[in-house]
Amino acid sequence: MSSLELFAIAPQLILSLAIVLQLLLIAVKRSTALIQYFTAISIVIAAGATPLVLPAVNTQSTILFYLDGFSIGVNLLIFLSAVIVCLISGRYLAISQEVHDEYYVLLLLVVLGASLVSIANHFASVFLGLELLSIALIGMVGYLRSRTQSLEAGFKYLILSATASSVLLFGMAMIYGFSGDMHFNYVSLSYTGAVNEQMRLLFSAGSVLLIAGIAFKLSLVPFHFWTPDVYQGAPAPVSMLLATVSKTAMFAVLVKFWFFAQLYANEQLMLIITVIAFASMLVGNLLALQQTNIKRLLAYSSIAHMGYLLVTLKVLAASSTQLAWESALFYLLTYCLANLLIFTFICQTSKANAGVDNDDWQHWRGLFWQSPVQASALIFALLSLAGIPLTAGFIGKFYLLTTAVDNGSWRLLASLVAGSGIGLYYYLRIIFVMFANANVQQALPLTRLSQALIVSLSLLILVFGILPDIISAEVRLFALSNFG
Amino acid sequence: MILTQMVLVLFVGGILAWAGENHRPNMGRWISLMAIIFAFALLLDFAHSNNELFHQYLTIANIPWITTFNIHYATGIDSLSFILIALTLLLGVICVLVSWQEITDNTGFYYFNLMASIAGIVGVFIATDLFLFFFFWEAMLLPMTALIAIWGHENRHYAAIKFFIFTQVSSLLMLIAIISLALIHHQQTGSYSFDYFALKQMLLSADVEFYLMLAFFIAFAVKLPSFPVHTWLPDAHTQAPTAGSVLLAGVLLKTGAYGLIRFVLELFPKASAEFANVAVLLGVISILYGAKMAFAQTDFKRLVAYSSISHMGFVMLALFSFQQIAYHGALLTIVAHGLSSAALFSMAGMLYSRLHSRDLSQMGGMFSSAPRMGGMLLAFVAAAFGLPGLLNFVGEFMILTGSFKVYPTSVIFAAIGLVGSAIYGMYLFQQSFQGPSKQVIVDLSKREIIICLSLLALLISLGLFPETLLMHFPEQYRVAANATATATASALVPADSVINLGANL
Repeated sequence: MSSLELFAIAPQLILSLAIVLQLLLIAVKRSTALIQYFTAISIVIAAGATPLVLPAVNTQSTILFYLDGFSIGVNLLIFLSAVIVCLISGRYLAISQEVHDEYYVLLLLVVLGASLVSIANHFASVFLGLELLSIALIGMVGYLRSRTQSLEAGFKYLILSATASSVLLFGMAMIYGFSGDMHFNYVSLSYTGAVNEQMRLLFSAGSVLLIAGIAFKLSLVPFHFWTPDVYQGAPAPVSMLLATVSKTAMFAVLVKFWFFAQLYANEQLMLIITVIAFASMLVGNLLALQQTNIKRLLAYSSIAHMGYLLVTLKVLAASSTQLAWESALFYLLTYCLANLLIFTFICQTSKANAGVDNDDWQHWRGLFWQSPVQASALIFALLSLAGIPLTAGFIGKFYLLTTAVDNGSWRLLASLVAGSGIGLYYYLRIIFVMFANANVQQALPLTRLSQALIVSLSLLILVFGILPDIISAEVRLFALSNFG
Repeated sequence: MILTQMVLVLFVGGILAWAGENHRPNMGRWISLMAIIFAFALLLDFAHSNNELFHQYLTIANIPWITTFNIHYATGIDSLSFILIALTLLLGVICVLVSWQEITDNTGFYYFNLMASIAGIVGVFIATDLFLFFFFWEAMLLPMTALIAIWGHENRHYAAIKFFIFTQVSSLLMLIAIISLALIHHQQTGSYSFDYFALKQMLLSADVEFYLMLAFFIAFAVKLPSFPVHTWLPDAHTQAPTAGSVLLAGVLLKTGAYGLIRFVLELFPKASAEFANVAVLLGVISILYGAKMAFAQTDFKRLVAYSSISHMGFVMLALFSFQQIAYHGALLTIVAHGLSSAALFSMAGMLYSRLHSRDLSQMGGMFSSAPRMGGMLLAFVAAAFGLPGLLNFVGEFMILTGSFKVYPTSVIFAAIGLVGSAIYGMYLFQQSFQGPSKQVIVDLSKREIIICLSLLALLISLGLFPETLLMHFPEQYRVAANATATATASALVPADSVINLGANL
């Protein structure tokens, strides 16, 4: 193993080391603040190792991992989201003398799992990373044991996640049976080589099962039923983790597998993806219409957003994959920024010892007149999710549309337009509530830290929306150096 | 950079008005007024020094913006943009004046939205990069939606959401068409381009041209609005605060007409000629349907809103008949309707501030207590139904004369719409100011007289001397008949010769 190979997985090594140190730290001194800062700092260090990683781009590190630009981009996104989750968890959990060390250990495990998954290039590493991610998340979803909702959500996630994992595993086994290899990029080679119709069927069936397993984690229709309940039941910071870190990592797996194995050339699979995308965009948006709980609403909206993202998977030729990678990365970035902002606000106005989180958006009534800064930040995030110009979400949607037009996916475009049209309704309703006149609620107090987070996230959303050049060059750079 | 300065003056003016209002009450309206007047002065100064040049497209700025897709911040101006910007700023002043006392809640934020909306509309008229155009197109919607949703009447949220969704979905179609154009440019030349002039020179296959044209057409037809996609308009106009209605009817609808002229007809000449029959039909249906619906209303603002649909139908008819005279008529109608509908909505606002109702059945016989107001309303109603001597008459007359050559049957039906407008106009006036006296109201205040008189003076003077407007559009210039250019090619000067003065401006 060369030093370059080690550098390629430096962030993951740092995270693993940090987890061991965390356990030692707990043994030495139990302090919530200490472990929180330690966790945050270790994630920052892992992210800070990126300059070390950059020279190692396009390196196969052991048989399991392959580091490309896209993975680095996704990893940075995961680390950014995780740091914010870590920072805001402190106040949310600070309810009594209880020390929450396990929470932060689990958090770091989730981050490790997510970042392993996003550089994985082999079924074994995908599965390992995925299980690390899921099992740690189950613990976190059910973390607030005094809340029945939280426990229920934990169980739901446990059972369905285990089912999805086994489906995924079965799919992997079938593909292995067909190709004799668990590497992403050999899969397609053997596919083109295979002449036997039965063998191809085995491969197609395996891919379908694999996609179903991933679709469950991405909460795509029709595997979405767990999403709203788990989002609502989980503690707010954990929902935030689910919405950003988990989704980003899983989408990275899907994109990598899809393009490395050149599944886009397979018409049947393409049809399945098209149907799933179509259904996700419409069902997600339609079901979001009636939600009064902001966490549920964001769950449904994330279903729709993952549907939008699937648009990038439809490419006609290998030459178009470039733009698809770029679009996927940029859209993930804008999606995460907006979600982070809204969840930060929810976390900061909720407490773990309350029966439920403060997640009824009717509580935001008249927020704009009480604290214009917070409300404006939320409005920018919502507009960004809706894909309105001036916000990063619009540029993200612009990328998606360009990809879709480039590949002539007119049916997907039609459902994208319809989906965004429906989506506008519920985003606007929340915005209007913030402008309402009644001062029912007391102003929601925010700490300086969360205030600063919200303001800087909203500035990022605005700046990326108005001057996307600032970031698009990096996105392109990351997306350029993919495996293909 | 003069055009950008104007947009900035308006936008920064809005921010200052917001900040100023929080600092000291009533400062917002003064700052807004000053900012609009200052922007107007900039425009006039610029026009003065470039009098002749507006006959051809003048590109002012061209700065790389989003390099990934070769998107530029490109602005330019020609007579059409110039006239529409002037109209926007003029109505901007009216908007501030009608809001003077109407708005009492959150005044600072109100003026910010008003100014941001005006800035966005000016931006729409100056953008020559299609992405930038789309950007402004959307940017003007947000503050407008806020105006309706926050300061509107009883059913404001419904109206605002409907307005936003209609325009947003239709403009997404346009965005897809814009992206397709850029990608076709990419296929043909190897680089993306959103530049208006570059895209105009592209050769498109007939099928592609038709579908792209359709996407643009739908976006602009929603804005105009034309018959099947008009339903947002009565709600939005009725629920908006007075200034919102003035801005909506006065200029926002004109962005639809502007888009048809600038993009649909110019980028897709062949496809629009093919589509002309349908468009003319939609135009005529809008005229008749709008007139019929207007007559059935009991709500003052709703009546005027439906009349807008009817009037904009004339514009659609004219543009797709590809006749020089009709095209001139359309330009005049755009200005005339901008002024007269703004006036009518201002009157509606004045009445609402006195009666707290827009219901015509509650009005009646107010002429005795408010003769000046009645006289003004009569004048504006007369303008709206095309009394000779006022600008609307010239415009509609030219449209009908011009289009008659090509679409005689349609014009006959459209002319019936003119009769309809007289009926609903008189109905409006009778219901509110004549008959047994039901209400006693205060007559116009000085501020209101200024608003009415200035609009009326413009309608009369332009109506008597329409040449003041038409001189900007000489005979050879930008004949909308690009499509029929084959027949008259010798008489035409290519409209796309661009003089680039960007460096020294």
